[in-house]
Amino acid sequence: MSGRVRVVVVDDHDVIRVGVKQSLGEDIEVVGEGRDVETAIEAIAQAGPDVVILDVHLPGGMGGGALDVLDACLKKPDPPRFLALSVSDAAEDVVAVVRAGARGYVTKSISGPELTDAVKRVALGDAVFSPRLAGFVLDAFGASAGDVAVVDEDLDKLTAREQEVMRLIARGYSYREVGGKLFISIKTVETHVSAVLRKLQLSSRHELAHWAAQRRIV
Amino acid sequence: MCDDGGVTSPANERLTRPLKRRAPNAAWPRALVGAAMLMVAFDLASSRFDWFRPGPWVVPLLAYIVGTALVWSPLDSASEEDALRPEVVVGLFSRDHWARVLIGIGLAFFSMWWFARWEFTDQPVVRIVMVPPALIVAFALLLGPWLLRLVRQVRVERSERIREFERAEIAAHLHDSVLQTLTLIRKHSDEPAAVAKLARAQERDLRTYLYQDRRTEAESVATALAAAINSVEDAHAVAIDAVSVGDAPTDKRLRAAVAAAREAASNAAKHGHAPISVYAEVSGDRYEIFVRDSGPGFNPKRIPTDRLGIRESIMGRVERHGGFAAVTSKRGESTEVHISVPRGAENGRVAR
Repeated sequence: MSGRVRVVVVDDHDVIRVGVKQSLGEDIEVVGEGRDVETAIEAIAQAGPDVVILDVHLPGGMGGGALDVLDACLKKPDPPRFLALSVSDAAEDVVAVVRAGARGYVTKSISGPELTDAVKRVALGDAVFSPRLAGFVLDAFGASAGDVAVVDEDLDKLTAREQEVMRLIARGYSYREVGGKLFISIKTVETHVSAVLRKLQLSSRHELAHWAAQRRIV
Repeated sequence: MCDDGGVTSPANERLTRPLKRRAPNAAWPRALVGAAMLMVAFDLASSRFDWFRPGPWVVPLLAYIVGTALVWSPLDSASEEDALRPEVVVGLFSRDHWARVLIGIGLAFFSMWWFARWEFTDQPVVRIVMVPPALIVAFALLLGPWLLRLVRQVRVERSERIREFERAEIAAHLHDSVLQTLTLIRKHSDEPAAVAKLARAQERDLRTYLYQDRRTEAESVATALAAAINSVEDAHAVAIDAVSVGDAPTDKRLRAAVAAAREAASNAAKHGHAPISVYAEVSGDRYEIFVRDSGPGFNPKRIPTDRLGIRESIMGRVERHGGFAAVTSKRGESTEVHISVPRGAENGRVAR
């Protein structure tokens, strides 16, 4: 996926949409916009973007906001990738959209270059974890209680390496810095993060399941 | 009984209360009188020509039916749309309605009284068994709709009151917080730093209000750390991203760690570049805090010995509680302060 990344921006506030469009870098092209669930689904179907920047709280639809959009779009063949954007730091919001299929979660206080970077990363199929999301993952997977997966396939726990990566991201390290600190390549860091994302989406760990059940997105 | 509404003299009414809504001319008293006269005529005619002699129960039964209809009749106008607005209902009850209800109850009671005395059979036992239930049913039928309506109205009123309370609560909070801050921002509109600080503080306040997590600083070290970081944000007008994993009651050692983290964050805010991030993790045996800025970095070995910030407020403080603090930094790169204190009772001897 080379060249310009085509994105659709979905947010119910015009000001935020304009701001997001302006702060995106040169090599990102905004091909559509949506202001609620219906217009978002339509814009995504029409434009066929690489990435959708999606606000978590949206009017319309079944009342589930971003979850409705994710639900409708991920069922179709060849869906775009989703990057969730929100002012909310609430764990339920974060985990709900990620479990519903978003490949990343950033807050609206993110800077322009960081957002551009996050969009490109998501377009390439990687996951984008903000420090807060990383902290939440550590919390939910019981990392502080010492739960360590022995095999990678254990979806309810993180491996020691994944925990280290999450910890460094939570401490504010960029992927490059994480790689430098752990003496691994950026590619390896990305692999670990994607593995964590997969666990976050598929795990039935009860903390996660609880939040998922609350939001009816099981 | 017929003196309500339509019968007051129009001239008098115009003079005294020009805005009074004119009640529609009540047709029901005339209908009542007409029906009664028709019944009397029918009775006379039937006895004269010996057509049809129904039992003596016909008149009381008819009286009961008419009475019930009269009692129910004000309900349909009052119940539908106005059940949602209880304050309207009180005023809605005109004298016309009251008169209908009273007459209706009177008629119904008369027929019930008659039925109670009616000797329809020779066996007193049958009467004793039959009459009270029949009277109770008749009574319930008469006033049941009113009771139901009352219950529904009480429910509506209650939910209304709860909603009103919530609304007042939110309005009061918004007034005390957002409106005050907006006024302050307008006053300081030519000082960007002050405006940014006010906006940030307000954002935080609203956030805690919306995503309420009300644990006190003593109960939760995460809350204590957040409060400390917030005060640094306020003092230095910077944004600090704080993430906490795990939680525990704030004991003496954790408090020391939080105080050290506060000092470290304040240093980062003074000397470092944004973004500044704080990460805290409670694990089984340690509480660790990492405070990180994005440059410009310095050489920790070359801090003058008379500078007490790092040496005393950060390192000394946590070392007295059995922990340690380390500063990792290089000129031109990011600085990270790592604060770690032990947890749990087995380390109690080390702590003091």
